[in-house]
Amino acid sequence: MDRTFPFGFPGATAFYLTIYVLTLVIHVLFMNYVLAGTGYLLFCRWRDGSGSIADRGLRAGDVLRDWMPFALSGAITAGVAPLLFVQILYKENFYTANLLLYHRWMVILPVLIIGFYMLYLLKTQWIERRSALTRGVVTLGALFCFAFTGLSWTENHLLSTDTASWPGLYESGSMVYYHRELLPRLGMWAVGSIPTMALLVAWQLYVLQRSGQEPNELEPRRLALLAVVGIALSVGCAGLYGYQMTSEVRSHVTGVLAGPFLLAGVVGLVIQIVAWLDQGKKTRFCPRALAAGSAGLLLTIIGMTTVREAIRLASIDVTPLYVRHAESAEKGGLYVFLAFFGINAVLVAWAIRLTRSRVVHSAD
Amino acid sequence: MDVPYYPINDYEPLIKGLVIGGLGITHVFLAQFAIGGGMLMCYFQWLAQTGRSPVARQFLDGYFKILVLISFVVGALTGVAMWFTTIQVSPRTIGVMVDEFHWVWATEWTFFCLEVVAGYAFYRCGRNLPDRSRMTLLLLYTVGAWFSLFWINGILSWQLTPGQWGEDRSVWSGFFNPSFWPSLIFRTITSLTIASLAACVVINTMTELRRDLRRELINRAAFCLSPMLLMPALGYWYLNVIPPDSRSWVEGGSAAMTMFMGIAVAASLLIGGYALVGLIAQRLYINGATATLLLALAFGATAGGEFVREGVRKPFTVREYLFSNSIRADEVALLREQGSVTADPFPLRNAGIYANEQLRLGAKVYRFQCSICHSMGGVNGLTHLAGTWTTDQKRMNIAKLQNTKPFMPPFAGNAEELEALVQLIEWHAAGMPRTWETTSNATVLAEIRQWLDEAGTESATRREVALIREER
Ligand code: HEC
Ligand code: HEM
Repeated sequence: MDRTFPFGFPGATAFYLTIYVLTLVIHVLFMNYVLAGTGYLLFCRWRDGSGSIADRGLRAGDVLRDWMPFALSGAITAGVAPLLFVQILYKENFYTANLLLYHRWMVILPVLIIGFYMLYLLKTQWIERRSALTRGVVTLGALFCFAFTGLSWTENHLLSTDTASWPGLYESGSMVYYHRELLPRLGMWAVGSIPTMALLVAWQLYVLQRSGQEPNELEPRRLALLAVVGIALSVGCAGLYGYQMTSEVRSHVTGVLAGPFLLAGVVGLVIQIVAWLDQGKKTRFCPRALAAGSAGLLLTIIGMTTVREAIRLASIDVTPLYVRHAESAEKGGLYVFLAFFGINAVLVAWAIRLTRSRVVHSAD
Repeated sequence: MDVPYYPINDYEPLIKGLVIGGLGITHVFLAQFAIGGGMLMCYFQWLAQTGRSPVARQFLDGYFKILVLISFVVGALTGVAMWFTTIQVSPRTIGVMVDEFHWVWATEWTFFCLEVVAGYAFYRCGRNLPDRSRMTLLLLYTVGAWFSLFWINGILSWQLTPGQWGEDRSVWSGFFNPSFWPSLIFRTITSLTIASLAACVVINTMTELRRDLRRELINRAAFCLSPMLLMPALGYWYLNVIPPDSRSWVEGGSAAMTMFMGIAVAASLLIGGYALVGLIAQRLYINGATATLLLALAFGATAGGEFVREGVRKPFTVREYLFSNSIRADEVALLREQGSVTADPFPLRNAGIYANEQLRLGAKVYRFQCSICHSMGGVNGLTHLAGTWTTDQKRMNIAKLQNTKPFMPPFAGNAEELEALVQLIEWHAAGMPRTWETTSNATVLAEIRQWLDEAGTESATRREVALIREER
């Protein structure tokens, strides 16, 4: 670990680490949309009370409500890929944490199913006819489901790296693991999701704006404010988290291993702030500002996801796993995967294009 | 060679196999509904756009909503749930599967993405699209869904019939294993069956349609049940390619397996008979209650089938390679020498309840080697199973575990551990008294050692296969 990620590792390990981080980045994008989006929907409920605001143009909340179930599908689908690679990379660590948390871990599945249906419920006419309280409770319920899922992943992650605690936790029969890094880390994920969500919604509103559905003219400013507040909070949480780390881990984060990625993350934040300040001054969504913001966002997410990996690599000894990564890398099928990845990417694009071929048929 | 140890959770009075079985059934049922649903919808779209059945379109949009609401959500999550549950039941098994087949899995994932996007595109925009686009989206959705089955089927069938993989360790030998094709075709037909029966239920809820229109739709949907005619032949093919000992379990060798097989066959026959005679030949109407009943029967058949699939692999999770209790076939000899739990870092959860140290050792051995298939006093409980045996019989029958029942793995520990296990069973049977004498008789241990040697470290399945061949 005396070279920058992923270069200090043997070929196979570096290879799996890289695809793991890249696939996790996709999961993070969707997951952020779901987590912060549901939070924002709750905020909208509270802000708007029971009054109707439909007449003043499109707002972020409308788009979020509409797309949230799909985004959750996306978060789950995109979660499967890193789930595959985390098992190849960390094997026993990942499995043991799963087993120790046991029912507490498995419960995220029914919880996600409930969350899913709550999101669908939020799209129905039925819920619109209910009282503000009912709508608030359903939104809060969905938010709780996703926050709980996030907490569980963070808990599982920290436990997977804390090998010394395993026998004791097992003996106690407790299915809850607490670590002082848990809350700042979770906090970082939670507030860090806000700028991502703001940007993704802004793009959606921009697409609608182009198709003639004008967003509310205050929306660019609101989203800019939201994003900048999210960024500020993330920086705060990151500071707190960094403070909780052991000095050894911190030295890897700021050192050769992950230092460049940390820097990239910070540069990304600055770019995002500048882009949002620009966008916030306008009354319509501006693709240039959003593109700049997206570049910054990607830089930040890739940077921070890599830093996250560096923290894990600094916390556990992965050297015994190198041989096994090399063995895995010898298994066939990579080319078949690459071929179908290409083919299916084209088919996915085609499916999306087909939705543009809208024709209202009058025949039936 | 390092044998990995995992924290093993207690399922008493149930056993893990039942838990994964239960979840597996739900997932398989819903996933197959999604696959068959795709095919069925392509057929209905074709009926609609070629003018053969104008009401087909109306049905399609309603049906797809249900498919999305149920199968997308619960189906997708139960897929992840299967993964998580397999980790809970046997982390080592899923570890081997992931190591061997991760690119296959990654390939499946690309199809899964296609399924989600195409399905969602149809769900959101389908109503306003021209027929060609609707058809293309449905086809893309179906391709995505069916190929997910294609890829996962290779991995699951490999567990029972690894075939050539046993020698060359090649991904593709493992993937296109002897039971790959029969089980793929079988599952495809099952998918269509589930989807058509679900369609009959949905059509019955469309009360806004006239009854004759509903009847027409039902007869169209029932047409998709006709491939069930092939099921007996496929079943025969499948049974022919699985290992003879596994086959013998379902043909009467194991009461439970034979019963599950019986349930699956009987339920399928009922559905098939009703479909072919009533729905297809006589073009009868089928009301909501009957349709629901048939769908429930299909669930029963799936349940029976999945239990058989999980059950006949015993004593392996990966045939001839990894035993159900997560011990690799080539590790048994080593564990007999060094003791199976000597290196187990996980303490007992309730060490205090045991009357002595030997019982604690026995409890660890039980946890590591037996608890995957047995409970102590509940399902498949050891105190009942060995209840009438004398102490010496217990010693011998456990030492020769693979001979006692060929669907058990060989005992993989040393003589002291075996004696501790026997004491544990007797202590439980005696009602867990507060005091219990520690045994340490050199002659007994020597005898156990001899029995262990006689039994050898190989599974009985190979010998069993040879015997069954001879008989025929
Ligand atoms: C692969 C699963 C599996 C494992 C692992 C396993 N068993 Fe069994 N065992 C079974 C099954 C299935 C039966 C049959 C139960 C029945 O006949 O109803 C059985 C039967 C038995 C019986 C009764 C045999 C008879 O002839 O009636 C005993 C005793 C027994 N097991 C002990 C053990 C012990 C001790 C271990 C651990 C060292 C163990 N088993 C591990 C699956 C397993
Ligand atoms: C809305 C639902 C979800 C939320 C809010 C969520 C949130 C999170 C969070 C916060 C992390 C980071 C944990 C950490 O580093 O501390 C994470 C990681 C991860 N998530 Fe999700 N997640 C969700 C659903 C899923 C699902 C359904 C899957 C699986 C299919 C999944 C797969 C993963 C994987 C594999 C990781 C990396 C774990 C590791 O490396 O330890 N996620 N998720």
